[in-house]
Amino acid sequence: MSVTRRQFLVAGAGAVVAAVSGCDRVKESAVEARRWLGKPTAPPLMGAMTPPAARDLDEVSHVLNRLTFGARPGDHARVGAMGVQAFIEEQLAPQKLEDWICERVIRHEFDSLADPEGTLLPRKGNASDPLQALFPAMKDKGARVSHLYEYKDKVLLEDLTRATVLRAVLSERQLYEVMVQFWTDHFNIDPSKAEAKWLKAADDRDVIRAGALGNFREMLRASAVSPAMLWYLDGRANRRVKPADKPNENYARELLELHTLGVHGGYTQQDVMEVARCLTGWTVRDKKKFFKGRVEFHEWEHDAGPKRVLGVDIPAGLGASDLDRVLEILVAHPSTAKHVAEKLCRKFIADEPPAAAVAATAEAFAASGGDVPTTLRALFATEEFWQQAGRGGKFKRPFHFVVSALRATNAETDASKALVDYLVRLGHAPFRYATPDGYPEAASHWQSSLLWRWNFASALVGNGIKGTSIAGEELRERLGGDEGLMATVLGRRASEAEREAYHESGSGLALLLASPAFQYC
Amino acid sequence: MPPPQAVINGNCDQRRTLVVIFLRGAADGLALVPPVTDDHYYRARPRLGILAKDAVKLDERFGLHPKLRPLESAWREGELAIVHACGTEDQTRSHFEAQDLMEHGGVVAGGWLGRYLRTRPSETRGALACVAVGKALPECLLGAPTVTVMQSLEEFAIAGRTPALGTQLEKLYGMERGQLGAAARDTFAALMRIEAMRTTKYRPDNGATYGRDEFSNGLSQLARLIKADVGLEAASIDLAGWDSHFAQQGQVEGLAGKLAEGLAAFRKDLGARMATTTVVVMTEFGRTVEENSAFGTDHGRGSTMFVLGGGVRGGRIHGEWRGLEPDVLEKRGVLEGYGDLPVLNNYRNVLAAVLARQVVGCGEVDMASVFPAFAVKPMKIFG
Repeated sequence: MSVTRRQFLVAGAGAVVAAVSGCDRVKESAVEARRWLGKPTAPPLMGAMTPPAARDLDEVSHVLNRLTFGARPGDHARVGAMGVQAFIEEQLAPQKLEDWICERVIRHEFDSLADPEGTLLPRKGNASDPLQALFPAMKDKGARVSHLYEYKDKVLLEDLTRATVLRAVLSERQLYEVMVQFWTDHFNIDPSKAEAKWLKAADDRDVIRAGALGNFREMLRASAVSPAMLWYLDGRANRRVKPADKPNENYARELLELHTLGVHGGYTQQDVMEVARCLTGWTVRDKKKFFKGRVEFHEWEHDAGPKRVLGVDIPAGLGASDLDRVLEILVAHPSTAKHVAEKLCRKFIADEPPAAAVAATAEAFAASGGDVPTTLRALFATEEFWQQAGRGGKFKRPFHFVVSALRATNAETDASKALVDYLVRLGHAPFRYATPDGYPEAASHWQSSLLWRWNFASALVGNGIKGTSIAGEELRERLGGDEGLMATVLGRRASEAEREAYHESGSGLALLLASPAFQYC
Repeated sequence: MPPPQAVINGNCDQRRTLVVIFLRGAADGLALVPPVTDDHYYRARPRLGILAKDAVKLDERFGLHPKLRPLESAWREGELAIVHACGTEDQTRSHFEAQDLMEHGGVVAGGWLGRYLRTRPSETRGALACVAVGKALPECLLGAPTVTVMQSLEEFAIAGRTPALGTQLEKLYGMERGQLGAAARDTFAALMRIEAMRTTKYRPDNGATYGRDEFSNGLSQLARLIKADVGLEAASIDLAGWDSHFAQQGQVEGLAGKLAEGLAAFRKDLGARMATTTVVVMTEFGRTVEENSAFGTDHGRGSTMFVLGGGVRGGRIHGEWRGLEPDVLEKRGVLEGYGDLPVLNNYRNVLAAVLARQVVGCGEVDMASVFPAFAVKPMKIFG
């Protein structure tokens, strides 16, 4: 059955828990009640907890390191039993994965994100609604963003941030969440700019999450007409009314440099200008207007003349279709396949991605027309991905570090301010990167804030982060003692030096999480 | 032994620090730096105008609020520069909008100081390169590579009550080669210096005495960090409460006193280190030229900025000034009466000069990244 949090709060906890859980599940009702009240709980530890036994990272620990935000206790045993290939396939098809705990938490914690139709506007597709009969435009996506303006911008940023952390911690669709972060960086938008404050929530839903494991071309199209992107990179102000009007090149340049071809992808300043001309007329209604946030194409602000992009002629008079022609040219360009493949290999293989792996990944990207699962499948099949020497060699970015620590300790968290503050200190809070290139991937950017990693580890283990808690001793026992705990957290048997430090530190679990090995994946 | 400073600190001469002080609530520039020889000033402010006989004389035109007298020596010694009629292009006169605009550096994402720290020309970034004194991250630091929001030095330590944890971590990281090992060693070195500070009572140098208020206390913590060479490159601290709509005299006197006494103590305490320290004081907008019926002033446009530190072309008012004649003032909508002090000097041209000073000798600030969509013309505030 489906009950919204609002209904729940109106009806009262007892009624809903009784309705949902039924008499035979009374014992679970306490946990249920917490969930319904919007208090996320860590999923219970179930099944075999056999820790990794190898001296070095085995294949199972390796895929858990790279495809997820960190292994939870028991993950190694589960993935070992199903086999790494089956795990990769499972993760490449997230829609088939049961994920009710995470979905429920998100649905009940975040009205702003989980109820895209809003409260003031009529439901989509409700034909009998008189407002909608009057304004047919409300049926389109524009109507799905207006409601965001009902929220205070700070509320939306906080909700989006918390939801992002909670999904990374709780979701079974780990590779999907990893890719959501990858594309969030690739199509970076800092919501602190103007009306992106409200609209980034829609971009997150309609562009990034809709396409993270879908098709690149479709995601690119969605991003190009995403209201938040039109604000962030000034596409909304790119118009030509008089012949003397100069197009605003901001979005066009980043589209070529960051989203598709890459900086050395073989385009010229002329191409940037021509692409900008093609995109004139696309704009978004601002908050002073009705249907705020709705994206529109204004024929009268469009440069209707002929254009030439990367050597391809675009005839005069195509109007709004110029956009599709441009994206077609860009997606089919070999530089785009190479650029995306390089970034993926940097993410999943090494900061200096091996050329052979990039080539194989780029080929799969090109051959599949930008199908993301096909591209990733090819990447995960490269020899370079599996090389023993490369395992445990990627420095975790702070978000990955924090989430992997929460997952390794099976922490309960509400991802509220106290936790997010650590991400702020570490320079990696979601949606707070100003420039369109997105948070950097390479280790060198992230090694100056070690102190806050250590402090985070210590605070987490000492239960000193408000809203976040772990049961360290229970975990140690469940994993069969110190050796099991060490191997589970590290993904391999501890070294002699690590074992000694663990015992001498006075806080073994904190030491593991703060240790050099745990900073890597 | 702590490693050489060059490793800890990312900036080029290895000791430069920028301290940004934001006067929240819109400080009245015409009270802080009154044009004491302008009759229009006294006509508009018959009850609130600062009299020439009370003000600290700065030059032929301007005086300093009497409560800012502790800054007089910095002015005389050429370490304090003032920019008047300064501010943003924001027309809303909303605190929130104007602060945002100013701290972002325009209608752009992220903060100007955060973008500077990300893009400034230098390879390394110290673990404690950037500190915000207070409870929350100010908007100007959005996007900084790493920021520590702190109220006291207590927060600079490996948390937890187990010193053994630090010892064991130092051992494990000691075995790390490459960048991570070096970064860890820098962090431990910085921690060691701070540990020494935390366990001893702070005695400011040169006989400086700080007030007991929060602002002075924050400044004293920053002075400590600067002198301890932990690699502090940028710090922000607020002094709030300047929104003086009602009976402003006492309010402005109290805050001006705090500001000046805090800064004077800070300058005295740092002594020779002021040569590599820059302090910039800013506020979101100024206040109406004309006083209101409640002995206060309302939201206006231009205000003042102060730049204090080594290398400043001090002892002078920089930038354009056109006086307060009614026809040079900016109209306030359809209302009759005095207009506002116009913004003749854009705050970004002051900040650009300050940032350029931070990187002298090691490259240039990428002004297009720090202040996008604005043609920066740095003012000649530094010699």
